[in-house]
Amino acid sequence: MKEPIKKPWIWIILVLLGLFNAPWYLPEGSIEPFIFGIPYWALITIILTLFLSAYLSWLCLTQWNIVEDEEEAEKDQKGD
Amino acid sequence: MEDLRFAGLDAIIILSTYAVLMIVIGWLAGRGKKIGKSVSDYYLAGRNLGLITLFFTLYATQYSGNTIVGYAPQAYREGFSWMQSVPFFTLIIGVYLLFAPRLYVIAKKANFVTPTDWISYRFQSKRVTILAIILMLWGLANYLLEQLVAVGHAVSGLTGGTIPYGVAVIAFIIVMLTYEWLGGMKAVAVTDALQGIILLLGIIIMLIGALTLSGGGIANITENIAATAPERIGVPDMITNVNWISMLVLTAFGAAVYPHAVQRIYSAKSERTLKHSLARMAWMPPITSGLVFIVGIICIQLYPGLDVPASEELVGILANDIAGLNTFFYWAMVIFFGGIVGAIISTADSVLLSFSSMISNDVYGKYINPSASEERKIKIGKFAGILLIGLLLWVAWNPPGTLVQIFVLKFEILVQVAPAFVLGLYWKRLSSRALFWGMLSGATLAGGMTLTGYATVFGIHGGIYGLALNFIICVVGSYFMPMGTDQKNQVEEMTAMKNQNVSTATD
Repeated sequence: MKEPIKKPWIWIILVLLGLFNAPWYLPEGSIEPFIFGIPYWALITIILTLFLSAYLSWLCLTQWNIVEDEEEAEKDQKGD
Repeated sequence: MEDLRFAGLDAIIILSTYAVLMIVIGWLAGRGKKIGKSVSDYYLAGRNLGLITLFFTLYATQYSGNTIVGYAPQAYREGFSWMQSVPFFTLIIGVYLLFAPRLYVIAKKANFVTPTDWISYRFQSKRVTILAIILMLWGLANYLLEQLVAVGHAVSGLTGGTIPYGVAVIAFIIVMLTYEWLGGMKAVAVTDALQGIILLLGIIIMLIGALTLSGGGIANITENIAATAPERIGVPDMITNVNWISMLVLTAFGAAVYPHAVQRIYSAKSERTLKHSLARMAWMPPITSGLVFIVGIICIQLYPGLDVPASEELVGILANDIAGLNTFFYWAMVIFFGGIVGAIISTADSVLLSFSSMISNDVYGKYINPSASEERKIKIGKFAGILLIGLLLWVAWNPPGTLVQIFVLKFEILVQVAPAFVLGLYWKRLSSRALFWGMLSGATLAGGMTLTGYATVFGIHGGIYGLALNFIICVVGSYFMPMGTDQKNQVEEMTAMKNQNVSTATD
């Protein structure tokens, strides 16, 4: 059985991803360099945001399994 | 959006087709089923939503017309810091992961219909239940009002005023009530699938149109903004950054505990369906609010110098210009506005259904007439829905300021029920007395701050201060007002997941 609440590392990474999503750690007002036409700091935020999507999606699929096996087995039985 | 030159009769045809289609879908969804006889059939689609319908109903409900009409101007005014509109939708999935896995199992076991069912089951306290009902109904009513105001503007804008604001609101309420009554949650979910697809296509076409109008790639646009409005493209100041993180937390908790959001957890056919739907939802913000953000940024170059009221009309102005490009874009924009209307309706229908379910099941079924038949409870819910709409309509005739402000206001209050879920599910010591005072103090602080003009202090939203106070009172209060051993054992029993008793059968 896998339940996300029981794994502290999940939440530590999530809080860090949330905290560093805003660029408070970079010099205020800075724009350049542009990378692919996007200000460097915006690119960092974009990458972190996409990583957040990937991370949460991965968590849903791999770290959450409470009654799934049982439900699916029951469904198969009913189908027979 | 009052003077679109591209609309008129064509838009009326599109909207009418759309309205008829919704009603037909509602009729098909409810056909042959005794939809008005069982509370869980009517409000939860028989707890049997499959992957596609569950995913689309989560999607279309979460993203409303405001995601386009309100967020593009926001990106225009704030610039790159409005990138936050992407992660704040994504993080909602993170908060779902905090409580949905266990709540799903317990809800199936105990046949919950509304979020209040969990709260009254876990805390067994009348005052906690009633307070939670008030907070949730307040949030829902406010949210519904926002959708009604938005649909009126969207339709009158789309038809160039041919269909006036008031007529548009009433016409769409009638359409929405008709398909909702015909097919309940099932109809809402199936229409959401159609509405979600049109919304997504609409956003993509709007982006292509905006890029065509601007005539250049992203690099030209960003260089231009850096030269003309550097404050909208540089690293934001500290207050903005703090506000950014505060917004992430407020939205993530607020949107995840919305009653209609919680009810989608109950409606899932299986754990597998639920987690696969949420895994896909985690990827939707970049291609929904992310694309709308890019459109807003392109508009900084296209329409420099708009003030706040003028920028609120941004989507209308842009759609008008895109429609002028050629026949393809003309029709694409007519359909796009249909998509906005669909996005609003798909949110409004879910909110209304959730509101009715709480009146049926919580207010009427728990306190007024507990022995009522399910059919009667549903009828009462439908009737209450009409009353609410009547009440909101006269408010809608005098719509309040900008849309985004209303959006924050409802979250401040509603988010205060979060501890009942995230603490209540796992922390056995959490007592009902502590929770009651926590929710009440949190809501009072958050509401008070907003009403006295302190919506944010040091960049942090009043709702977050309220939520922090709420959590502190819950924790400290539970240590000072401990439960008896019997009560503790009972809570242990209620929050446990007895796998062997969980059934996938519909009820």
